[in-house]
Amino acid sequence: MKKNLSVASMISLIIAAVLIVISIFIPWWGMKFFAPQYPEGLDIIVYPTTLDGDIEVVNGLNHYIGMKEFSNQSFPELAYMPYIVISFAVLTLLVAFLRKKSFLFGLIILYVIGGIVGLLDMYRWLKKFGTELDPKAPIDLDPFVPPIIGENTIANFVTNSYFTYGGYLLGIVFILMIFPLWKDRKK
Amino acid sequence: MKRKGIISAVSGLAAGVLVAAVFFADFNKEEKASSAADNKSKAEKVYVPYGEYDDYYMLASGGHSGQLFVYGVPSMRKIRTVPVFTPDPATGYGYDENTKKMLGGYTWGDFHHPAVSETKGDYDGEFLFANDVGNNRVAAVDLSTFHTADIMSLPNMGGPHAGVFVTENTEYIALPTRFARPLGGKYAELDKYKEEYKGVVSMAKFDRDKKKFNLAYQIMLPPWSYDLSDAGKKMSGDWIVMTTYNTEFATTNLEINASQNDRDYIVLINWKKLEGEVAKGNYKEIEGVKMVDPRDYKGAIYAIPVSKSPHGVDVTPDGKRFIAAGKLAPLMTVFSFEKAFEAIEKEDYSDEKFGIPVLPYKKVMEREVDPPGALGPLHTQFDDKGNAYNTMFISSEVVKWKVDTGEVIDRKPSYFSPGHSSAAEGDTVDPDGKWLVALNKIAKDNFLSVGPSHPESMDLFDISGEEMEHIMAAPVDPEPHYAQIVHKDKIKPKKLYEKDEKRKNAVWSKEDAHIERKGNEVHVYGVALRSKFVFDAKSDRPDAVTVNQGDRVFFHMTNIDLDQDITHGFGINDYNLNFEVQPGQTNTLEFVADQAGTFPIYCTNFCSALHQEMSGYLLVKPKE
Repeated sequence: MKKNLSVASMISLIIAAVLIVISIFIPWWGMKFFAPQYPEGLDIIVYPTTLDGDIEVVNGLNHYIGMKEFSNQSFPELAYMPYIVISFAVLTLLVAFLRKKSFLFGLIILYVIGGIVGLLDMYRWLKKFGTELDPKAPIDLDPFVPPIIGENTIANFVTNSYFTYGGYLLGIVFILMIFPLWKDRKK
Repeated sequence: MKRKGIISAVSGLAAGVLVAAVFFADFNKEEKASSAADNKSKAEKVYVPYGEYDDYYMLASGGHSGQLFVYGVPSMRKIRTVPVFTPDPATGYGYDENTKKMLGGYTWGDFHHPAVSETKGDYDGEFLFANDVGNNRVAAVDLSTFHTADIMSLPNMGGPHAGVFVTENTEYIALPTRFARPLGGKYAELDKYKEEYKGVVSMAKFDRDKKKFNLAYQIMLPPWSYDLSDAGKKMSGDWIVMTTYNTEFATTNLEINASQNDRDYIVLINWKKLEGEVAKGNYKEIEGVKMVDPRDYKGAIYAIPVSKSPHGVDVTPDGKRFIAAGKLAPLMTVFSFEKAFEAIEKEDYSDEKFGIPVLPYKKVMEREVDPPGALGPLHTQFDDKGNAYNTMFISSEVVKWKVDTGEVIDRKPSYFSPGHSSAAEGDTVDPDGKWLVALNKIAKDNFLSVGPSHPESMDLFDISGEEMEHIMAAPVDPEPHYAQIVHKDKIKPKKLYEKDEKRKNAVWSKEDAHIERKGNEVHVYGVALRSKFVFDAKSDRPDAVTVNQGDRVFFHMTNIDLDQDITHGFGINDYNLNFEVQPGQTNTLEFVADQAGTFPIYCTNFCSALHQEMSGYLLVKPKE
């Protein structure tokens, strides 16, 4: 088989694979809530495998507006995310060692599709949680969809949603995947 | 022409400089800088702006209220009342299972002298110990939760007034008795006072992990009255010093009869030696307690004469000296441990009283300090510059003097009749020299009148300068005895109780709340969360409990709101019951449902906008 990716490109992809694996252990996304009675803020921190932060406190507060409880069980994706992420890492390593441009294109397309699906899935959850409110809840609130990135105000809470280290890492992974295309462009 | 030009130029410049000087120069600069500091108002010194904290906790005795008062210094704002010896409906203390057991049926205590646990003679801020003169007990308050952790009864005692003082590393919490009493609380005629009555020192140990007291041993002493005590530090770390009165063995009209001898005693006890004797099995068991008589062991006990009816005795921060004052013979005496040890070494005794070797006053004493007109010296506190501060009960003032020379530096009035005083870290090896609070027994007309009984008061002095400055007075509930002022960095309170899945009686989710019946016992394993109670998840009405009249009911409640300051209360209408569960805590309320009927249950501690709706029912079916 003709290898048409350079050694530099191979190294770039190996690093990308390593970063993908590392990202499993660090948070990807988060949301922080502020209110007068919570000046220090409440956190929801999302790792690819688990939820962290003040989940129980947020659940306690959310029941006032009739939002469903957050838990690892309410997001089945979290259970198989590690497999998806590891598969991507393995795939990236394969492409790195096979050093074939067409495979790299395939990988990038898969990665982009994966990213878009991921974002759509997140949006779906945010919409589901924000709009399917229990009609019997003590506080009547218009349905709302918190943004994936940015500020939002719900009742007396100001929320900030943001991508964090793991998310940034996946951005860097994308650059590392694109890099061989530039490096080994036809002269 | 040329000269004229020069003159006008020079004069013009001169005028310019003058004008500039008049408008812009600040000739008062030097003076302003110093007066600005002097003028920093008293209000500014105690003002703690919103969002900031006081520098110190003042942990103050609540006297016969049986409570601990927590103040902030320098603001003198009262932060919390912590119930210790007295039930407190506001927090459910004395109503829930554990605290009810701890109080043992008593409804009051006389809380005198708080002592914070120490490591190397300095506050470590973990626990606070307190004596109950009223009912012979000692308590420990956990300073991570500001809850009373344990209370132990002390047999053979007659009011442990001369405690609580802890040894250098909190090896012991020492509590000498005030009233002599026959051992075991037996009956004995007062005519047999000298033979049958005993003074006793309780030496308690405290296990910090288990948060439990253990009475290690007791020391049997002559039937003198022991007033106050302190533990040695550093070179004197093995010793305890105590003041006595009633060396006359008076049994009636003590005001007169116990004030006859010109000298009373300071008793020196070597606890290390007695600990060794107890370990060797040299003790008698009385009322289940190991009792040692220090007179049986050479080197375990000595007495030193002191001016009559002394009150406080305080060891200096370096541990080399101790200062005592006779409240009826108004002078402070500086005693030297070094000299005392020397006299002990040479067996240089002036006398023997009740089998106790007496060390010669002149040879142990370093100096007497007698500020003219200063009457009723009670207690000594220290700063970081070698100065002592004495409260004068009768002349109502605080006297500052140098320990090394006895030179009186400053005297300031207090309002009125100060008993104890407390300086910032003022009884540790490392006093801060910042603030002193005089704890007054009387306030007279300092505050808005609340009827014939005025509040007691506390005077705050700034002691950072050469002269003391009286800053403010604050009213206080009866009655301050002693306080300890601890730097805020040394106390590390918890925000929540940790979620412990294995905790006994705990339920951590709404779905797991359930009720178990065992004969006529009903155990409710419930949860409290904003804004509901769940007693039985599977019931149609999860917040109602039905029992039969005469059932013994246990409400094991867990607060599953793991959120700062979300405490839930639990009051039962008409049943005279209320208790609380703090965030993450599990607590049990036990009672017999002897009254049939329908009783609303509601959350008594405000928890959220829907707090009012946080309620349920206890239904007690009448006996057929």
